[in-house]
Amino acid sequence: MAEKTFALEAENLRKVYRRGREEIVAVDDISLRVTKGEFISFIGPSGSGKSTLINLIGCLDNATSGSMRVGGEEVLCGGRGLSESALTRIRRRVFGYIFQRFYLVPTLTLYENIVMPFAFFQKPGVDADPMAIIRFLDLEKRLKHRPAELSGGEMQRVAIARALVNKPEILLADEPTGNLDSHLGQEIGGILKTLNEKEGVTVLLVTHNPVMAALAQRTITLRDGRIV
Amino acid sequence: MKKISIYQIAAKNLLRKRSRSALTIIGIGLSAWVLASLLGFNQGYDSALKKDIDNMGFQVLLTAKGCPYEAATLMLKGGTGLRYMNESVIADILSQREVESVTPMLMQAVFDPDRGESGAIDAYLGVDPATFPQMKSFLKFKQGGWFKDPEAHVAVLGYEAAELEQREVGNKLLIPGKNIELAVVGILERSGTQDDGTIFVPIRMLQKEFGQQGKLTAVGIKVNRNANTAALENRLYDLPDVQVVSMAQVKNTIMSLVATAKVMVLSIAVIAILISMLGVINTILMSVLERYQEIGIMKSMGAMPADVFRMIWTETVILCIMGGALGLALAFSLAKVTDLLIRRLLPYTPTGSLILIDGGLMLTTFAVVLGIGLVSGVYPAWRAARVRPLESIRSEGD
Repeated sequence: MAEKTFALEAENLRKVYRRGREEIVAVDDISLRVTKGEFISFIGPSGSGKSTLINLIGCLDNATSGSMRVGGEEVLCGGRGLSESALTRIRRRVFGYIFQRFYLVPTLTLYENIVMPFAFFQKPGVDADPMAIIRFLDLEKRLKHRPAELSGGEMQRVAIARALVNKPEILLADEPTGNLDSHLGQEIGGILKTLNEKEGVTVLLVTHNPVMAALAQRTITLRDGRIV
Repeated sequence: MKKISIYQIAAKNLLRKRSRSALTIIGIGLSAWVLASLLGFNQGYDSALKKDIDNMGFQVLLTAKGCPYEAATLMLKGGTGLRYMNESVIADILSQREVESVTPMLMQAVFDPDRGESGAIDAYLGVDPATFPQMKSFLKFKQGGWFKDPEAHVAVLGYEAAELEQREVGNKLLIPGKNIELAVVGILERSGTQDDGTIFVPIRMLQKEFGQQGKLTAVGIKVNRNANTAALENRLYDLPDVQVVSMAQVKNTIMSLVATAKVMVLSIAVIAILISMLGVINTILMSVLERYQEIGIMKSMGAMPADVFRMIWTETVILCIMGGALGLALAFSLAKVTDLLIRRLLPYTPTGSLILIDGGLMLTTFAVVLGIGLVSGVYPAWRAARVRPLESIRSEGD
């Protein structure tokens, strides 16, 4: 049997915040292996640690302790993390991010928003022409529009296109449908599913929505910072 | 399809709050205007004063003893002193080896009750037709020419004097209170010097009509090329009842008087620059704080701290470049207005343009404004570069 290739391996991840003398354990001893091309959803009540976990996984924050390998590279070992610059290098090579809010730049057109990551970094071997992604997300007719002229669903599709232009190995989606109605939410869910199945993108989805969570191959439930 | 650069993102961001960006550009523009005008005044005043002094045609002026500052000011305003000396002094001056030529002058002033609302002083400069035109060879005539007879009842009018008196060649000019009629034989072209407002008459005629035979108010001395002017001045000081005013002295005296005004204007320029610096810092810092989350997302997309720093710094530099261009345009287009304002403020101003803006000055102003931009942008850019992506998305949280 062929050995599985992991997109991400985390061991005993723990994240503790201090508020005065009080310690708040947001992520408590979580170990996780994500296979390349897998679609995982994280569910749980508010404050269960879903977003904190995905921020640690996405190298947006350093864990208090534990170890983690991303894309074959060790980013955390025994709680000793990399510098912000080193984390940025990993982020731009491995991850694409989608958030609940779209964070589009209002002065740029839809097209300019989508290609903005290229202003900072273009992954070697990645085609600078984003038209295939734009067509896939059905945005080609609105390329010259500004974000204020788009609907919520269109803005989230632009955010997805922006996350995909550098061909990330892992797409992190933190409540991507939180600001959308159920119909648009299903549309975005369908896009994530297609990206995973047709393009082989590893998708890690944080959601409150059981319908969205059901799109994933594996669902992980968190409570009080632990996997249950 | 084209990619977008960090610089384009920076430039487009300035359109986000157009009125704020515009006000900042105007603030920088006003500072640049003050700075360019000040620097232009510094070199314009020097150059205009030098031109005035060069156009006097002589390097040393001898006047009857009196206040040297009064003599210098009167001389530059077209007068030649109020006290008198004897014509015999000319022979003493000509005996000096450094002297190339001399020209005697007599200034007489009369009150004209019909001029303006409460009357005004008319000044007549008696000059020697044999020597004065040679010393003032740069003067060109609009009509007519110099008189030849030192005793004739004739006059040559400077350009502005002719305009004021409304006279042309062939017209008559009456000396008020004296009942003396002069025929206008020449009108000078505009020279940009004090000669424009002067009425020149033959010296012998003026001496006779005003009862000042054998008297002079000043003697202009042209010195040989490469002669030791300082040594000449020292010997001229030994002559009785005269004072020596060298043009170099006049220039230095006036420049030291004006230096105080320059320091004041420089202080205003420095304050204006500091205020505009604070304005730039405030604008960019506000813009950074408003885009905290957006900058965080850019960093999650792969922007390094240096990329963010460059982006924010570019915004500052764009504001300063536009403000600098606006300031230079204002300085150019309003140079005449500034010139008029300065003339009202200073006790003495030369006749040429006081504001001289050239390529070097433009570059200096631009460099200063750009320097302000670079310095002002450091703190906001540093703050932006330190934004951590997590801070911007924490509000998303569980």
